[in-house]
Amino acid sequence: MSSQKIEEHFITTEPYYREQGNELTIALAAFQHKIPLLLKGPTGSGKSRFMQYLAWKLGRPLVTVSCHDDLSTSDLVGRYLIRGGETVWLDGPLTLAVRHGGICYLDEIVEARKDTTVVIHPLADDRRELPIEKKGEILSAPDEFMLALSYNPGYQSVIKDLKPSTRQRFIALELGYPAPDIEAEIVSHEAGVSAEEAERLVRLAEMTRGLEDAGLPEGASTRLLIHAGTLMASGIPPRQACKVTISETLSDDHELVAAVDEMISSLY
Amino acid sequence: MYGVQQPTMTSTTQEHMAGQLAAIIPEAELNSWELEELLDCLNELDSRHQELVLHQISVIWPVSHSLCLAFLEAVQPALECLAADQLAAWVRGILDRYESQGLKEARRFMADLDSHFVCKLRGETGLLLSAIKGRLGLYLRGVAGRPFDLERATQPGTDTVTIFLPRSLAVFSNDQDNFLIYKLLASLQWAFVRGNLYCHEVKDERGLFAKLGPAWQADTDSEVFLDRFFQPFARPELAMAIYHFLHTVRALAFLQQRLPGLMSDSRPYFQLMARNSPPAGTAFLAAEYAELLEQLGAGQPLHLPAGSISRHCQPQRRQDDDQGIFLDTAAIYQAAAKTSPLAPAPDFQGSLTVERAHKRRQARRQEVEQQFIEALSIRILPAVATSREDDAGPETGPDQPQQPDSGANLSLRLPGDQEESRDRDQSAEHPVRHVRLDDESIELDSRLQELGREIMDDLGHLPQLYLDSAAKMAAGRSYEPGLSTSPQEGTPLTGTNLYDEWDFRRQGFRHNWCHLLEKDIQPSGGTFISTTLTEHRGVIKQLKRQFEQMRSHHRFIGRQRDGDDIDLDALTEAVADQRAGLPASERLFIRQLRDERDIAALFLVDMSSSTEGWVGKTIKESLLVMAEAMESLGDRYAIYGFSGMRRTRSEVFRVKEMSEPYGTTVQGRIAALSPKDYTRMGPPIRHFSKLLAGVEARVRLLIILTDGKPEDYDDYKGEYAIEDSRHALIEAKLLGIHPFCITVDHTAHDYISHLFGEVNYLFLDDVKKLPRRLPDIYRILTT
Repeated sequence: MSSQKIEEHFITTEPYYREQGNELTIALAAFQHKIPLLLKGPTGSGKSRFMQYLAWKLGRPLVTVSCHDDLSTSDLVGRYLIRGGETVWLDGPLTLAVRHGGICYLDEIVEARKDTTVVIHPLADDRRELPIEKKGEILSAPDEFMLALSYNPGYQSVIKDLKPSTRQRFIALELGYPAPDIEAEIVSHEAGVSAEEAERLVRLAEMTRGLEDAGLPEGASTRLLIHAGTLMASGIPPRQACKVTISETLSDDHELVAAVDEMISSLY
Repeated sequence: MYGVQQPTMTSTTQEHMAGQLAAIIPEAELNSWELEELLDCLNELDSRHQELVLHQISVIWPVSHSLCLAFLEAVQPALECLAADQLAAWVRGILDRYESQGLKEARRFMADLDSHFVCKLRGETGLLLSAIKGRLGLYLRGVAGRPFDLERATQPGTDTVTIFLPRSLAVFSNDQDNFLIYKLLASLQWAFVRGNLYCHEVKDERGLFAKLGPAWQADTDSEVFLDRFFQPFARPELAMAIYHFLHTVRALAFLQQRLPGLMSDSRPYFQLMARNSPPAGTAFLAAEYAELLEQLGAGQPLHLPAGSISRHCQPQRRQDDDQGIFLDTAAIYQAAAKTSPLAPAPDFQGSLTVERAHKRRQARRQEVEQQFIEALSIRILPAVATSREDDAGPETGPDQPQQPDSGANLSLRLPGDQEESRDRDQSAEHPVRHVRLDDESIELDSRLQELGREIMDDLGHLPQLYLDSAAKMAAGRSYEPGLSTSPQEGTPLTGTNLYDEWDFRRQGFRHNWCHLLEKDIQPSGGTFISTTLTEHRGVIKQLKRQFEQMRSHHRFIGRQRDGDDIDLDALTEAVADQRAGLPASERLFIRQLRDERDIAALFLVDMSSSTEGWVGKTIKESLLVMAEAMESLGDRYAIYGFSGMRRTRSEVFRVKEMSEPYGTTVQGRIAALSPKDYTRMGPPIRHFSKLLAGVEARVRLLIILTDGKPEDYDDYKGEYAIEDSRHALIEAKLLGIHPFCITVDHTAHDYISHLFGEVNYLFLDDVKKLPRRLPDIYRILTT
């Protein structure tokens, strides 16, 4: 898992990213002043893509960790392994990023257990250091190192919430769904559909987002629109493409799925 | 204030009606309040129905006074479904029922108009609106981006807030196609609303009327713009038909562009309409409607307006040009043969009901005004509170007018040019984002922006009065006479269960202010439990399975001192550590662990009298379904109700204690829940925070189910109540409790995000969904 070399984490080609506001300026300022970044936003709104773009812009490697509830401190920091009778220390992704001055991006941080996430505390304040207990080493982060977390405040679970002691170390950027014209531009670019088609998909997304009070946990994300657009571009009929990518993925509630289907059939 | 006086009925018509009533009913039989009640009911009706209903009163009153009052309550919704000439037959049915079976049966007969009267009358079947209302409502909400109520009526139509649809449709033989027609009808009515069919104001009315001719006067006594426009025509119904036709073309063209899928799916329907319509003949507009149907059936884009009448219209009229449509209406009217009959419009067009839309708009305007003022006052509260600190003068009486020293000098900042933003489309694109208080700009949240946009759409500007009222309200002055904001001082209470109350004006507590009593509920028998359990058995079964899965959350945990299997990862690491000269770990085993959820939840139910009726019933059903589901989960939970009156009697009702087993007693208590008094939210929240804080659990949840604002009989109202409840919730959070609120209040958006914080509440648009959603919400909250 962490056998990758840091070179593999450099992003060499410019990822497509369409700025929504001044998020890039703020993130660059955060980087410059060595303040970690917290990205909030609904699923599929471009948080991970933004990190890729930021890493490319800064020319730093991006080490992404998708958090889950079995993630241990060793998984992040590193461990000894045996190799041919020898013990070898292997850096975890966090250590890898700190050592080489990369960007460590912990995606969906609330999924990780809270005892795991405390390891980032000394890294996230002005100490900027990572204690590696096993090695008895304290790693000081170089200026280029950046820590970034993301989470979706839309999941209202009381168990999955970020501790104030964690969140108060960050600059928080909220990445919501882009404005309609920007979103259409993104969908058109990413899915390879015409501007008109993209605009229609965005209209559909707005319709579904209007159902959030009526029982839909979240409306269609930009990512779903891109999926739908991609299928359409590859020749699948629009109604079918939208059904499999949008209505069926949003809910299992028959009435809601039926209502979204009706929206799709009114548009296509 | 705008719209205080009865808007639609002048005092002369009221006197006229009172006179007519007096002619029907001998004076001795009617006291003044009864007369008032009758007049109120009549006032609700369309003017064209008033005479009819008056006549029926003369039939029913001699038979029974109470039946007559019940009839007046039922007649308004009934008239939506009945044609005028069916009213007499319906009344005969009511009287038959009354004479043979009594008042109760007669009421039932009136309430269920469909099954007792209309169905038999028509003998029709087909797709019922009631069967698809849920799906259609959701669809429309998504498409329109705002909720509409769906109601049944003989003809499709709208009053701009409600969309009326036929109670059943049987155009095609299968439900799917009939649903498509429902969808089309509803979408078309939405397009009418969006296209400003019930136009209430045009830019430059004088200019428009000057172009139309001397008969048109901008300042006549009619306050409805469309009436001012239609009345001067010799045949207003002809002008209305032309106007409606032009709007139909506009709305359909809009739908073609906005919902192309719907319009192409509907082509078979349009073709059918074209085949079934009578031959064009000489009737006025017949050829135009035929051409319209043909174009729609062929899926061609509509060109505006079609047919021979197009030569009377201005070429290249913009689709959203409101003035143009009036000029075209007049031009077509001039050219029309005044003697020829009017062709019937296709069914889907529906009816044009200017008066109904106007009444609805008046009501909505007041609602929005109220909501805007309240929400804005909460928004500007901190600013005003600070400016009040310098304002050390004595408290002024509520009827003192403008307070020059109040510091709340509000003005409105509009984006761009003031004149420009009067335009409807402009205001939709650039909503009001800021208001100015003194020289400080206050940003409006999304809800306020939404309300602001609605006001701009309606009135064309945001009246200064609204801002002043909000500032006054925020400054703690009287906005309405009932809301006395200077709190009455009193003596602290003594005894047990005393709670402090937060007074936001002094930014401090009133100590030992409220007395809370814990009460028992006598379990009740009856069929509620068995009926609910049967009715929701499918849901309960499904929930039990879901909840069981949450419970049996087994997982393997590694790095244990002992366990069922060797943890290879840990072992490798230990060996490596040992070789590296480090002390090796002894935690080398994997053990299967059942996750202890360790959650304690307390459901706190608002039992104020505002929860009466269907809300009360649904809340009881939800609690029962929830309790059934909780049994398979094993989380500890308690259920309490709360209500009370005044600070000396805040009551909580024990339905189930944390440790109490769920059984018939608890079920009986749920069934016995009934509306009590008021909603003083602070004391019960503080009481149960204390109780929950004493429970050993990893997660403690306080779930509050309510349908309205905190409010008590005394001065516990408005911001005082909201601020106290908010403070009680903050106290709860400090005790390590997670409060969560579920509300069904339609106006809840104004205050609820302030009260509960953004992610700690959920707004349900339809209380009927609560039994299903409550367990869902609980599941999401705790996994």
